[in-house]
Amino acid sequence: MRILIVEDATRLAALLAEALAKHGFASDRAPTLSAANDALAAAAYDAIVLDLGLPDGDGLAWLKRRRSASLPPVLALTARGTLTERVAGLDAGVDDYLTKPFAADEVAARLRALLRRSGPRAAPILSAGPISLDVAARRATVSGATLDLSRRELDLLELLMRRAGAVVSKDAIETALYSFDSEVTPNAVEAIVSRLRKHLDEAGVSGVLHTIRGVGYLLEDRT
Amino acid sequence: MRTRSLGGRLALGLGLVAVLGAFVLLGLVALEYVVGSDEPLTAMQLAHEVADHVVAPLIILLGLVAVAGAMVIRSGLRPLTQAAIDVDRAAQTAPRGVRIDHNALPAEAQPFAAAVNRLLARLDAAAEAQEAFAADAAHELKTPLTILSLELEKLPGEVAKGLKDDVAALSRLVDQLLLLARLDAQSAAETPRESIDPKNIATDLISALAPIALKSSRNLAFEEVGGTTFLGRREAVTAALRNLVENALRATPEGGTVTVIAGPGPRLAVRDEGPGLSPERVAELSKRGVRADHASPSGAGLGLAIVARIMTAHGGALSADAQRRELTLDFNTREGIRQ
Repeated sequence: MRILIVEDATRLAALLAEALAKHGFASDRAPTLSAANDALAAAAYDAIVLDLGLPDGDGLAWLKRRRSASLPPVLALTARGTLTERVAGLDAGVDDYLTKPFAADEVAARLRALLRRSGPRAAPILSAGPISLDVAARRATVSGATLDLSRRELDLLELLMRRAGAVVSKDAIETALYSFDSEVTPNAVEAIVSRLRKHLDEAGVSGVLHTIRGVGYLLEDRT
Repeated sequence: MRTRSLGGRLALGLGLVAVLGAFVLLGLVALEYVVGSDEPLTAMQLAHEVADHVVAPLIILLGLVAVAGAMVIRSGLRPLTQAAIDVDRAAQTAPRGVRIDHNALPAEAQPFAAAVNRLLARLDAAAEAQEAFAADAAHELKTPLTILSLELEKLPGEVAKGLKDDVAALSRLVDQLLLLARLDAQSAAETPRESIDPKNIATDLISALAPIALKSSRNLAFEEVGGTTFLGRREAVTAALRNLVENALRATPEGGTVTVIAGPGPRLAVRDEGPGLSPERVAELSKRGVRADHASPSGAGLGLAIVARIMTAHGGALSADAQRRELTLDFNTREGIRQ
């Protein structure tokens, strides 16, 4: 996995590169947007870590200009994680955000999550902690042992694993699991989640599938 | 003594003209009769002549002038009254960038309107400068803090962990001070309000904070009890709710849950499983200048002062219910009706 870090604070960029190396990411550094352009022209990257305030321009404006050319997923670093900034960023094509200061583990986890999401470079085998999911073969395993899951349970697991470490809303699950015309009973999602949780418990991974009551569900991304 | 009303001044001026005019005319008429006629009139006849030919026409003329003058002044001043109404209304709906339309004003009032517009422009510029400063300061302060925390991650042991907590507290304090600076800029020259659904704000915030809460073995939940939309500033409302939720997470023991409640009405509440704050304590903590959260034993501090500021700016209030362990943000719908 090769990452491009676009950050003008060179010491921060060096520390981040060093920390990401421990998580198995190789990274190049670009202190300016023009350096980033050069780097992107010279090599293929799996993801970009982009500071939004750079000496030769605004990171978001740069992204908007570059979006026509296909870019790898972008994790933005921002000093102020305010909502207005976030909305502007998502419009510009930022895939995820981290507010400074951040822990290196968090950057690595977000990058893994970005790479897991569907896309041209989406991993064929997803993993979250001891759980693995072969997307094409529709097979889930825990530490090598196959889980006996129904189609809907597998779909749910895939959805949660693609966004491991983040909350997946109940609405998003309903939309993904059921077609428009099918009748969804109010407790259908709860029932599937509780069956999946039971399967995971039996396989020895308990306490990783959390219910955020009233909002959705979160599968832990333990490493 | 000067009267402030233009109408009053007109009346005074006309009265003065009437008295002076009456005397001058009186003199001229009297002279005419005394010098011009062959046989002098008696005092009685003179008084009669004067009343007929001087006082009566003068009264009629002045009456007409007064009525016409009052009408001219009123219609001349109407653009000023209208301008005041327009500015008041604009200040509530599209607050920043409000200017008086001086083309609609009488020529005499235009220099005044232009001066007021220059002042408004300066106010807007000052607010924008303060916001730009807050953004720059955020960037400048947060980068070294990030470097510090990444360096600390490389150190083993308890001391490093304590220092990391300090960096986190410092970063929170920077966030809160910058938010205060931005709120000050807002109160000088506002930005427009938008319609806010309390459920959206709550679930977005819970989704953002849940991973961090779960890492420290606490959970978040949402309850909907009939929340209704209200007008406000999304960023500020989110910041207020975030402050309450973060305080609640710190006050809640491991394994506990912090619940965000939308409604009833334009209301957001946060329930924790800690000891709870009394209403007196909330009032005390809401004052700006109370020590920051890492220094206060309850885990609340500057945060609540900011929340109180945001609520005041929204025409709402922050209140506490110690029994139910709830802190409530009440948004006044009056703001919505006014528009």
